[in-house]
Amino acid sequence: MQLSINNFGTDKENSIATQPQLATDLCVCLDLVAQHKDKKAFTELFHFFAPKIKRFGLSKLNSDAMANELVQDTMTLVWKKAHLFHSSKGAATTWVYTLMRNTCFDTLRKIKHKDEISLSDDIWPTDAEEALADEADFKDHLLNEKVLSYVDNLPLAQQSIIKGVYYQELTQEQLAKQLGIPLGTVKSRLRLALSKLKQQMGDKYHD
Amino acid sequence: MINYHPTLAVLTAFAQGDLEDSISLIVASHVQMCEHCQQEVAKLTEAAAEQVFEQDNLEDIEPFKETTSSSLNMALSIEMLDDIMSLDVDGTAEQSNFKEETLTEGLKHLNQHNDSYEDALNQSNIVSQNARIISHKDGELPLPRALNSLNAAPWQGVGKVSRARFQFNDDERRLSLLKIDKGGQIPQHTHTGIEITLLLEGSFEDDMGRYQKGDFIWLDKDHTHSPITQEGCVCLTLVSDSLYFTQGFSKLLNPLGKLIY
Ligand SMILES: [Zn+2]
Repeated sequence: MQLSINNFGTDKENSIATQPQLATDLCVCLDLVAQHKDKKAFTELFHFFAPKIKRFGLSKLNSDAMANELVQDTMTLVWKKAHLFHSSKGAATTWVYTLMRNTCFDTLRKIKHKDEISLSDDIWPTDAEEALADEADFKDHLLNEKVLSYVDNLPLAQQSIIKGVYYQELTQEQLAKQLGIPLGTVKSRLRLALSKLKQQMGDKYHD
Repeated sequence: MINYHPTLAVLTAFAQGDLEDSISLIVASHVQMCEHCQQEVAKLTEAAAEQVFEQDNLEDIEPFKETTSSSLNMALSIEMLDDIMSLDVDGTAEQSNFKEETLTEGLKHLNQHNDSYEDALNQSNIVSQNARIISHKDGELPLPRALNSLNAAPWQGVGKVSRARFQFNDDERRLSLLKIDKGGQIPQHTHTGIEITLLLEGSFEDDMGRYQKGDFIWLDKDHTHSPITQEGCVCLTLVSDSLYFTQGFSKLLNPLGKLIY
C-alpha cells in the first residue's frame, strides 16, 4: 500500500482517528501492521499516538529532543512488535502505553544513572510474551536450547550481536548504541556470526 | 496466602512508571508472586493508558494542529515515519534473512517440525524467563524476574544474619537479599528512611504481625520493629538508610546495622 506523504494530517476523510469507534479502529490498524506491514495503517497509528507520546515524554524527560526520541523509539516498537498485540487481551492504547512507559523508564535510567541495561521488560513483562511462552511446550524448549548452545559457541562479541538482534529484537542501530560500537561493526559481526552459525548447523545436521 | 500488599497508591505509581527504580524492582517482584496485585496493576495500567491517550482525543484528533513549540512538527514526523517504515526493507533485512534461512533451516534439521521463526522466538522467551537461581548457605532459591539483569555481591554475615547486596545504582537506596537463619532475630530498630521487605522464602514475625512468602512490608521512619524467625527466612530488602537500633549496646550492634543497610 502506498503512502502519500503530502497528505498527512490534512486528509480528514482518511483519518481513522476521527471515527467514533476509536478503539476498534486502532486494533484494526495494528492488525494490518502486524499482518501486512501496512504503511497506511501505521501512518494512522502514528498520527494518533505520536503527539500524545510527545506530550508524555516532555512531562517525564524534560527535553524536547528526548521526547522526540521517545516518540521514535516507541513507534518503532509498535511497527516491529505489532504481531505481539492481541485485542482479546486488552485495548490497543494499553499496549502502546506499556511500550511507551517501558521505553521511557529505560531512557530515564540511562540519563540518571548511565545504566545501559534495559530493565523495563523484566519489571513489566508483557502479557503477550508471557502467554506465548506458556503455550510452547517443553520439547520445543529443549530444541531451542540446542540452537542456543550453537550461539554459545560463537565468540563473545558475535554472541552479543546475535542475542541482541534475534532474542531481544533490538534493531542494529539500538544495538550499536547499547554496545557503544559503530553500526558498521554490528553489521559485519552479524554477518560473520550468521555464516558461522549456518556452518555449524549445516556441519552437524546435513545429511 | 499473601496478606500484605503494596498500597493502591504504590501500585498506581508502579503501573505509571513513576516509582523510584529500585522500588519498582521490589514492587515488580511482589507482583510476580501475587495474582491479586497482577490484576490490580492490569486495571491501573489500562486506566493510565486511557488518561494519556483517550481523554482529550477530540482536541488531539488532528495531531499536527497542536501549535505549541513543543509539539511534534510535521517535517520531523515525516522523517520519523519514513525511518520507521523503512525498517523492514532495510534495517532488518539481515535479520529476516537469518530468520527465514539460517534459523529455520537449522531447526528443521534438528527435528522434523517445521518451526517458524515465531515459535523459536517464543521459546527464547522461556529460556530467558527461566528464573535465575541464587544459592545461600542452606540451599538455593529462584530470583524474582525483575532482578534478572542484576548482579549480587557475595554473601556477608554477622551471626545468624547475612546479606547479598545487588549491584544497582539508585541514589541512597540499597537492594539486598537478606537471610536470617533459623531462630534468628534482628534487634529492635528504627529508620531514618524507608525499609521495604519482600518475603521470598520462609516466614518471620514482628510486633505487628506474622509474615509469609510473598508478603510485602513497607516501613517508614515512624515504625520500629524487631523481626524474629523460627524457621528461617530469605527476604528481598530495600533500605534507604542505616538502621538505627533503639535498644542498648547500639555500638555493638553497629556492624549489623551496616550489614543490613
Ligand atoms: Zn499483592
